[in-house]
Amino acid sequence: MDLFVRSVKSVSQLFGFIAAGLIALSVLVVCHMVFVRYVLNQNTIWQTDFVTYSLVAATFLGSSFVLTTRGHVAVDILPLYSGPRQRWWLALFAALVTLFFCAAMTVLTFLFWRESWDNRWVSDTMWRARLWIPYAAMPVGLGLLTLQCLADLVSLVSGREPPFGIVKEHR
Amino acid sequence: MSPGMQGAMVLLLTLVMLLSGAPVAFGLGAISIVFIVIFQGFDALHVVAETFYSGLNDFTLVSIPMFVMMGAAIGSSPAGKDLYEALDRWLYRLPGGLAISNLGACAIFAALTGSSPACCAAIGKMGIPEMRRRGYPDDVATGSICAGGTLGILIPPSITFILYGIATETSIGRLFLAGVLPGLMLTSLFIIWTLFIIWKRGFRSHALDFRYTWKQKFQSIPKIAPFIAIIAGVMYVLYGGIATPSEAAGVGAALCVVMAVVIYRMWRPKEWWAILRDTTRESVMILMIIAAAVLFGYMLTSLYLTQTLALAIADMHVNRWVLMGMINVFLLICGFFIPPAAVILMTAPILYPIIKAAGFDPVWFGVILTINMEIGLIHPPVGLNIYIVSSIAPDVPVTRIMWGTIPYVLCMMLAIVILCIFPEIATWLPDHMMGGVH
Repeated sequence: MDLFVRSVKSVSQLFGFIAAGLIALSVLVVCHMVFVRYVLNQNTIWQTDFVTYSLVAATFLGSSFVLTTRGHVAVDILPLYSGPRQRWWLALFAALVTLFFCAAMTVLTFLFWRESWDNRWVSDTMWRARLWIPYAAMPVGLGLLTLQCLADLVSLVSGREPPFGIVKEHR
Repeated sequence: MSPGMQGAMVLLLTLVMLLSGAPVAFGLGAISIVFIVIFQGFDALHVVAETFYSGLNDFTLVSIPMFVMMGAAIGSSPAGKDLYEALDRWLYRLPGGLAISNLGACAIFAALTGSSPACCAAIGKMGIPEMRRRGYPDDVATGSICAGGTLGILIPPSITFILYGIATETSIGRLFLAGVLPGLMLTSLFIIWTLFIIWKRGFRSHALDFRYTWKQKFQSIPKIAPFIAIIAGVMYVLYGGIATPSEAAGVGAALCVVMAVVIYRMWRPKEWWAILRDTTRESVMILMIIAAAVLFGYMLTSLYLTQTLALAIADMHVNRWVLMGMINVFLLICGFFIPPAAVILMTAPILYPIIKAAGFDPVWFGVILTINMEIGLIHPPVGLNIYIVSSIAPDVPVTRIMWGTIPYVLCMMLAIVILCIFPEIATWLPDHMMGGVH
């Protein structure tokens, strides 16, 4: 189990780097777009689409990394002020909800991606980008997120991680 | 089942889901899927993936990671320290000058980073120990920094305004401009209160036995000036209609990173990763909530819940100001428990038609909503800024910090009342600079 938890975390971290790289690349492409459009006075073709697709991809691919850093905001008022036992049950409920959503979305986005692949969808912009490429970020990112949720659930149930990462009593 | 009954079920389950501590994005998404299946069957699920993706497939959203990166670059650098020093060296001989320089530094840093916690941490680390060293009461020292930090989401560029603009299709440029005067007004209210309370408690101008030289006074300014110039440039480009918010923010982000590297020699990979990691964390978190909120909004609309609520409120025939009061109380309660980004994305699409129908200006309401969200940042039980300040001054009991923030909460409520009486404070600048029709 340790191997599973550690491996998933490592892959999540790798995807965190990829997401950060995509955001950095988007900043550079926006600068390039501004230069082409406002300095060279030329039309831009691919930049708008590329930046939008990159940031959507960064969101999905980086989501599991953000989960490992507890970066997805949650209303933690009940977990903070409840006793250890109730907190554990709350954490179990929260983990199952997250797992349900991520697993369901992985399946749904995979079906959506396959539709775009089978029907050779392209964007309705000048670039005519093949949409299966940006859409692939959804099942991949959400699939990894599902695995990360599963690893978190295993960590909670086996006592590797305290519920919600709260170590000391909050008063 | 009637839409009213369905609405009550959705509300109840949403509350249970959010209070359980599940991440807001995943909780909202899970509820949406469950209710789509319950009321529309499994066949309706085929739109879920497309709706989720379409929530993010918008070039306007590009401005969010760009503005976040701008703030992360400045927030990771010692710019906050330099800004604080610069203001203190100019204002230190004024009565209560330190309080003014603290809140002034918060307001300027707010404009630079757009982040409330970053503002609180950066200025608080310098400001709180210095205020306490010079004899300011603990609750004033900590309370004023908590309050000053909240200006981050009101003074432009502000992520909160971008989210409101996207959720309600209101002009982001207009919203940014609308935040300027209320931001200055709120800063002034905070300063007035701070000066009043320290005067009332018998605290007088501190007889410092030293004076800063002119050289010292000018020392920090060259380090800060480029960042302020970049933000001013971004604003100019935005309002001059020269570029879109995403383009302006993208170039601004690149320039801020370059400046942080050049001025503060942040060229180590570790420092670059800190900027990118913070940007990724915050952007992914916000964008995930946006996608989930779009799915949630789709579910509410397809079950006719939004329309039913708007009609029910219209049928109540209450006075529009009573309605505004009720909306503010509702938002205030939401803000006590839920972070501003999530509250705005969840409630703005529902409230927008109600606000429009009641004849309120959506830009003005965006400012009211943001000030309301600021209150939640310094009000128990959540009050994110309180805990940040508590980590800076661990020897001050949290309850004392909380009591210190209460007068500033009242200042914000006063600001909302003033804005209700004089909406021009928010609307004059955008109307004047961008024309009255929107």
